[in-house]
Amino acid sequence: MKFVDEYRNPELGQVLAERIARTVDPGRHYKVMEVCGGHTHTIYRYGVDDLLPGNVELVHGPGCPVCVIPMGRVDDGITVARRPEVIFSCFGDMMRVPGGDGTLLEAKAKGADIRMVYSPLDALRIARENPDREVVFFAVGFETTAPSTALTLMRAKAEGVTNFSCYCNHVTIVPPLRALLESPDLRLDGFVGPGHVSTVIGARPYEFISADYGKPIVVSGFEPLDVLQSIQMILQQLAEGRCEVENQYKRVVPYDGNPAALRVLAEVFELRPHFEWRGLGFISQSGLKLNDAYAEFDAELRFEVPGVRVADPKACQCGEVLKGVIKPWECKVFGTACTPENPIGTCMVSSEGACAAYYNFGRFAREREVV
Amino acid sequence: MNSFHCVTCSDEGVPMRVAALHDDPDLAICVDDDGARTEVMTALVENVQVGDRLLVHAGTALLRLDGEPEATVPRESSA
Repeated sequence: MKFVDEYRNPELGQVLAERIARTVDPGRHYKVMEVCGGHTHTIYRYGVDDLLPGNVELVHGPGCPVCVIPMGRVDDGITVARRPEVIFSCFGDMMRVPGGDGTLLEAKAKGADIRMVYSPLDALRIARENPDREVVFFAVGFETTAPSTALTLMRAKAEGVTNFSCYCNHVTIVPPLRALLESPDLRLDGFVGPGHVSTVIGARPYEFISADYGKPIVVSGFEPLDVLQSIQMILQQLAEGRCEVENQYKRVVPYDGNPAALRVLAEVFELRPHFEWRGLGFISQSGLKLNDAYAEFDAELRFEVPGVRVADPKACQCGEVLKGVIKPWECKVFGTACTPENPIGTCMVSSEGACAAYYNFGRFAREREVV
Repeated sequence: MNSFHCVTCSDEGVPMRVAALHDDPDLAICVDDDGARTEVMTALVENVQVGDRLLVHAGTALLRLDGEPEATVPRESSA
C-alpha cells in the first residue's frame, strides 16, 4: 500500500539496525523515551526493540491521553453522565477506563445515557437532534484532538446551540516532558518526540529539551522504519556529542506546526493553573479549560461536578510505568489481575497504553531487568 | 480502520481522502483506506479539494498529506 509499504521494508530496517549497532558505545547504557503511545504501539507491534542492541533501552512515556487521566476525573464524568437530562458522549475505550466508582460502561449498563462518538462533531449532532436533552462531550487528548474540540465549540457557539457542553480534559505535551526531565528517579538520554502532536505545535516547543537539559529529541513518524530511524538519529547525536531538535517526520510535521490550529486553540481554551496527571501528580499549566468567552459551554460550570480525588489502587503501578521507572511486566498485577479484558490501571485499557501493547504483542514473559 | 487503531481517544492520525465537498465550506466527506465515509472538519487546511489526502484526528483534518513520500533510504551516518 502506498505511503505504508515504504516504511515497513524489512531490508531497510536491517540496514538501520546495523547502523545503530555501529553507532552505540558498547560500554554505555542508553535510555531513550518514546513519548507517544502511538510509538509504543508501533515498537511492540513490529518488534522494533528486537532490532536494538541490548544496551539501548526504550522507556515508555506518558503520551497516551487515556492513560494519564486520573481516576477522579473519570468519577466526575460519571457523576455528570448519571444526570437524567444528560446524554454523555465520549470516545470509544474511554468508556472502559476505571474510576474509583466503576467505569462509564458500567454506568451505561445501569441506565445512564452514554454514547460513543468518533469526533466531537458527532456529539454536537446529537445535541441538535435532541434539543430537550443536555449533551455533554468528554473531551480528552493532547494538542492533536484539542483543535477538533475547539472547532466544534466554535461551531456550537455560531449556531447558537445551547444544550451542548464540554467536560474538558485536554492536556498539553510540553509540561509533562519538563516534569519528567526534572524527575530525580529517571535518567534519560534522549526522546523520540511525538509525531502528530507536533503537526499542531511544531517541533520548536521542544527546543528547551536540548537548550536547557542537553538532551536530543527527534520528532518521529509512526511506521516501524520511522521509529527505528529516529532512534538511530538520537544515538548518532549522542555519539557526536550533539543535542538538537531534529525532525525525522518532515513529510508531515512542519517545524512551526499548524498556525490555524494554534489560533483556534487560543480562541477557545486557556491553561488551567494546574492539572492532575495519573502517575505524575499535579503539573502546573498542563491542562486546558474553556476560556471566559466559551464558559457557557463548560460542563464543569453548567453542572455540579464534585471534584473527586481518588488514589490509584495500591496494586496498580501505572504511575511508575508512565514515568518509565518500571516496565509493564514488572508491575505486580500485570497479566494476572490486570488484563485488557479487566483492566485495573489505565495503561491496560487503551491499545496505545504501554501495558496493553506489551500484553497484546506477547511481551509479558520477560525476565525482570535490573536497570 | 483496523483492529489496531486506537479508538480510545481517536488520538491517532487517520489518513483519509476527500470524496466530496460539503455545502458547509468547513466540512468535507472523506473516506479512509477501508472505505468508511465520515464528515470531517477541514477549517484548518486551506483550499481542500476532492482527491486531497488529509491527516484526520478526531474528525478534524490537521494537514494535507501531499506529494510523494520522502526517500526512506536512511542517510549514511558520518560516524
